Amino acid sequence: SGELYCSLPNPRNVRFESINMKNVLHWSAPEGTGDGVLYKVKYAVYGVGKWIRKPECRNINRTWCDLSSETSDYKEQYYASVKAFLNGACSDWMETTRFNPLTDTKIDPPMVSVSSTDRSISIILTAPEKWKRSPEEESISLLQVYPGLQYNVSVLNKKTKKRWFFSISNNTLVVPWLEPGTAYCVSAQIHVTTPVLDSGFSKEHCITTLKDK
Amino acid sequence: GACRVSMSMTEIRAGFAAIKANIQSRDPIRTLSILSHPHSLHKVQSSDRCCITYQLFTFYVDKVFKHCRTEDSFVNRKISSIANSFLSARRRLGQCREQNNCVCGEESTEKFKQILANYEGLNVTSAAMKSLGELDILLDWMEKSR
Amino acid sequence: DALLPAPQRISILSTNMKHFLTWSPVIVQGATVRYSVEFQGEYEREYANGSWIPISECSLTTATICNITEDISATVAYKLRVRAELGATRSQWGTTKGFFNRAMTSLTPPLLRAVAEGHHLLVELADMGPSFQFRVLYWRKGQESRVQQKLMKEVSSVVHLDTMEAGAEYCVKAQAHVEAINRSSSFSPTQCVRAQGDRSMWLV
Repeated sequence: SGELYCSLPNPRNVRFESINMKNVLHWSAPEGTGDGVLYKVKYAVYGVGKWIRKPECRNINRTWCDLSSETSDYKEQYYASVKAFLNGACSDWMETTRFNPLTDTKIDPPMVSVSSTDRSISIILTAPEKWKRSPEEESISLLQVYPGLQYNVSVLNKKTKKRWFFSISNNTLVVPWLEPGTAYCVSAQIHVTTPVLDSGFSKEHCITTLKDK
Repeated sequence: GACRVSMSMTEIRAGFAAIKANIQSRDPIRTLSILSHPHSLHKVQSSDRCCITYQLFTFYVDKVFKHCRTEDSFVNRKISSIANSFLSARRRLGQCREQNNCVCGEESTEKFKQILANYEGLNVTSAAMKSLGELDILLDWMEKSR
Repeated sequence: DALLPAPQRISILSTNMKHFLTWSPVIVQGATVRYSVEFQGEYEREYANGSWIPISECSLTTATICNITEDISATVAYKLRVRAELGATRSQWGTTKGFFNRAMTSLTPPLLRAVAEGHHLLVELADMGPSFQFRVLYWRKGQESRVQQKLMKEVSSVVHLDTMEAGAEYCVKAQAHVEAINRSSSFSPTQCVRAQGDRSMWLV
């Protein structure tokens, strides 16, 4: 289809926002265009000779497009591009920088579950899963994607206000010899050494050890 | 062969991360890759990894870094840091290669020929800048295959 | 340029992977002399026609010291040079004698604080920078043959080592390790702490 006269201002800040390799293309509307702007999106696998249109993001008025499926192979790198249309005019194609899912994704904190006895607490950590197309699809833990993945665990004694840190590679931790009838708050963070990737700390999970029998 | 080099990947990654956007923005060609197409590094057999890693380090030291001088002093300093780290790592890889008698199989030889052909297919500055911009492809592969 | 002497007594101070170039000031009565620093790694000598790379933070500086840590970032032999500048006049370069390799840095033992909290043995280590890991050794006093070890990367917080038997005394020491140059510091002085709880119970 012949390209229209492209005098429309360009979409701005075209970039991938990725969490656990759910890779969503985002952009800002062209300056001063108000409502009615439509967009279309294309993407390319870096090093492969063609741009591919994304049909589900053709003539859309929202300013994002989920390209997780198209960019799910994290051994590849990608570009994506957006073009704006309004009243017969169009903008240039505006591209992202090169997107590397492996290093450019953000990682969610691990899931934390805590149980207690009178003098110990047991902590089980679960790393988030890589994004997948459907619930039926096989789950891939980020542990498989980042073999060097570790956990930093913080344990806060609410009575003494003392906080201890543990650095562990496996996903379970038992802290024995605690004070009975005392509240402990646990939070954990994922730490990948190379490439350097850290999740935030999870929200705190508090539990009280049982009273002395 | 088992030729693991305890190399400061973290330092090289940090150096590359600091200039990645700058270097990749100097490479306008989206449809060509030096390292990853048509054959992916990830398809190299483990027995060939030691050999192709050494070949790739030699490729970067001999051919790539010297053609990547820019007008930006910060970028030049980071390139120097990466280049000297590669030189140091290649020396240890070379020693390891001799001790372990890393064999260059047919596949890795073919793969490396493809890389050189991709490189020679562009003018030298574009090829060097594109190769430098693909450093994370090499680093990702090295870490994945560790 | 011959009017302006080159800086003298050029040397490198390197401790715990922090490297500084220093030189003696060039004195010109009533004038402010400035200096510029450049470095050259083994790569530049052997593959880039012996080129030199300026350190922008130390270009036209009035200081007689330059932090070269960021640029000495590979374990190869480096050369450094500095020259004096006064207006348009520049001195000859003064160059370090011999080479500098960061593997020559001097490593000091880590600052360590052992803590007993109830039955728990904890340790706090002062951060020494991104290049450093720590090897922490701990044992129950009197059982020196059963030393345990923990390798730690991230520090600057209270890290849990182990649980202790009631009333027993435990000792801790640590050394810093730099993987990039494959060297370790000497050990910190040993510190011993006592676990809470009644020892007599164990003596029965």
